[in-house]
Amino acid sequence: MPTRPQAIREASPLHWAIRVVAAGSIAIVAIYLASSATPSTLGNVTEACTLAIAAVGLNLLYGFNGQISIGHSVFAGLAAFTAGYTVNAWEWNPYVSLGVALALCFLLGVVLGLPALRLKGPYLALVTLAVAFVWPTIAAKFLDQKVKASTLKGTRLKPLTWTGLSVKGKDARLDRAIFLYWTAIVILLLAYVIVRNLRKSRIGRALVAIRDNETAAAVMGVNLKLTKTITFGISAVIAGASGWITAARLATMDENTFTILTSIRYLLALFLGGAATLVGPVVGAFAYFFVDDYLKDHAPDWDWLPGPLSKGPVAPFLLGVLVIAFVFVAPFGLVGFVKDQVRKVVVIAPRPLRKAPSSADQEQHEQAGPDRAGLETGEGRT
Amino acid sequence: MGHLLQYILNGLSKGSIYSLLALGLVVIYRGTGHLNFAQGEMALFATFGAWWINDHGVPLWISVVLAAIFAFAGGGIIEFGLIRPAGRRSPLAVLVVTIALFQALNSLSGLLFENAGTGLPFDSLFPNEPDDFWRISDDAVWRYQNIGVLLTVLVITGLVFALFQKTKLGLAMRMVANNAESAELSGVSTRRILMFSWALSAGIGAIGGALVAGINTNVNVASMFSVFLLAAAAATLGGLDSPIGAIVGGLSLGVVESLVQNYPKDWPASTYIGADTAIAVAFLIILIVLLVRPAGLFGSSRVERV
Repeated sequence: MPTRPQAIREASPLHWAIRVVAAGSIAIVAIYLASSATPSTLGNVTEACTLAIAAVGLNLLYGFNGQISIGHSVFAGLAAFTAGYTVNAWEWNPYVSLGVALALCFLLGVVLGLPALRLKGPYLALVTLAVAFVWPTIAAKFLDQKVKASTLKGTRLKPLTWTGLSVKGKDARLDRAIFLYWTAIVILLLAYVIVRNLRKSRIGRALVAIRDNETAAAVMGVNLKLTKTITFGISAVIAGASGWITAARLATMDENTFTILTSIRYLLALFLGGAATLVGPVVGAFAYFFVDDYLKDHAPDWDWLPGPLSKGPVAPFLLGVLVIAFVFVAPFGLVGFVKDQVRKVVVIAPRPLRKAPSSADQEQHEQAGPDRAGLETGEGRT
Repeated sequence: MGHLLQYILNGLSKGSIYSLLALGLVVIYRGTGHLNFAQGEMALFATFGAWWINDHGVPLWISVVLAAIFAFAGGGIIEFGLIRPAGRRSPLAVLVVTIALFQALNSLSGLLFENAGTGLPFDSLFPNEPDDFWRISDDAVWRYQNIGVLLTVLVITGLVFALFQKTKLGLAMRMVANNAESAELSGVSTRRILMFSWALSAGIGAIGGALVAGINTNVNVASMFSVFLLAAAAATLGGLDSPIGAIVGGLSLGVVESLVQNYPKDWPASTYIGADTAIAVAFLIILIVLLVRPAGLFGSSRVERV
């Protein structure tokens, strides 16, 4: 018989200590990076953050609401192009352009959410895929007719004065990288908190109910149409925020900056981390980005690869193979995998219900021992 | 309107290829409910294989058939080795495997075949000299190439339908598509049928890929992107679980694409609708159709029990 895992009660001092240590160590790493890393490393982390933000948005839609979208690159593209165009052509403040871009994304998300009310599973996947496929055509037409150039300039976001970061001078490049890095982290944190709060609230339970069984959810009084379209809209806004950072980061953008491949990256990042978990998309995005980056840098030098593989750009192939292999090791993503392992050692017992249990319940509890409450999930899996 | 017939004839041949690949998607979807995002790249890989065999002195037609046979085997192996074990783990896993397979196969073709990025010359499978056509009317000619593609597709789909309707294997496939559990209870090996479905789909796809390469007289790593998208769109339009829907969807999309690509040239609005927006228009039509019939033109919507 396997040893019984240790139970920690939710919101007990020990649980809080674990939470604080985890959050604290992430914060320390983030601050350490900002104070010591080179602009290119900071740029990489910023890019990983943009991927993570989009994955968090997609997770709200797919992981919790069950609506798949392979068209999220379009929202990022729409926001990036709106920001790039308004800032460069109309000299808007970049933060105003962020607001307008997100509003546009919300509208487009709601509009795309309307067919999603009728379509399910693969049909929805294909329609969103089509939208992602059409985007570069629209972007090229826009560049051609409105911008009259082959590329659109980025917004070149400058550090705000109160941060004390220099705009000009020899440190300008590093300081800009630091500013973008913090901006990306703040937006990622905001996106995470929004999705977390939605998930833990009544709305989140409605979302999951719809994902698991639409008809049953409707019978329970969930407004299907409103909930699904608004979710699509919010998810689009979060993906749009990621696009806005891309516009702030890149010097130029063109119609190939946001393609189907971008959407596929979002999906793979979400899957690698673990869909329908809160931290999954963030973990997955960082893992995906840095593995991809590592392969791109190092795989061309690997002489031990057989014959033709050592000749060309082998990174995409290796990444594809790795992802397939990963599916078999951890079908529920990195977070699912870690949770499964941790569950063998320690489980978080949910907080007891506020209502005082009846005497019959109490007897059962006493028989089972106070530590056993909430262990069913842990035991069911072993 | 003078060239209407011409555009329709061109569109039919292009559309017949979409039908072929869409049929492959439908065969898989009916069995397992999975959408094979790697369908186009599996076909691409097989087409490179056909090129390679042909490059070694085997006649083109024979190399295409050989490549289709290898693709048939490969499809079965992919189902057995990757899709089935992934499906046991989580539903998202299959989607991710097909997407990763898409990426892996695409870049593997680029690695294995030199100059695959810029394109390898691929002879047409049919007579394709400038004067190889059949004049139908004053302003419409039917090129042998187009006739050949259409006929090939018709023969293959005819064979597939005969397989579905006239053979025991086809009966078993229809049983699995209809209700896998009862099929299993009646002694049908669901696993073998699913493996065969993937094999059949990959084999059909390989021929489709060779036809595309023949029309373009070139095969490169990007050849199948838009073809796959339109095939997927055709399958969606017809209904993902309907083989007839795939054929009708493919042919009509081909015609729509050809008309949209050619007609607006004569319209004042041509600045807004150009050749490159053809696909956008095609998808708009599909969106409208799906809003009216969410399961496609010929698809069946399942009644769900709560």
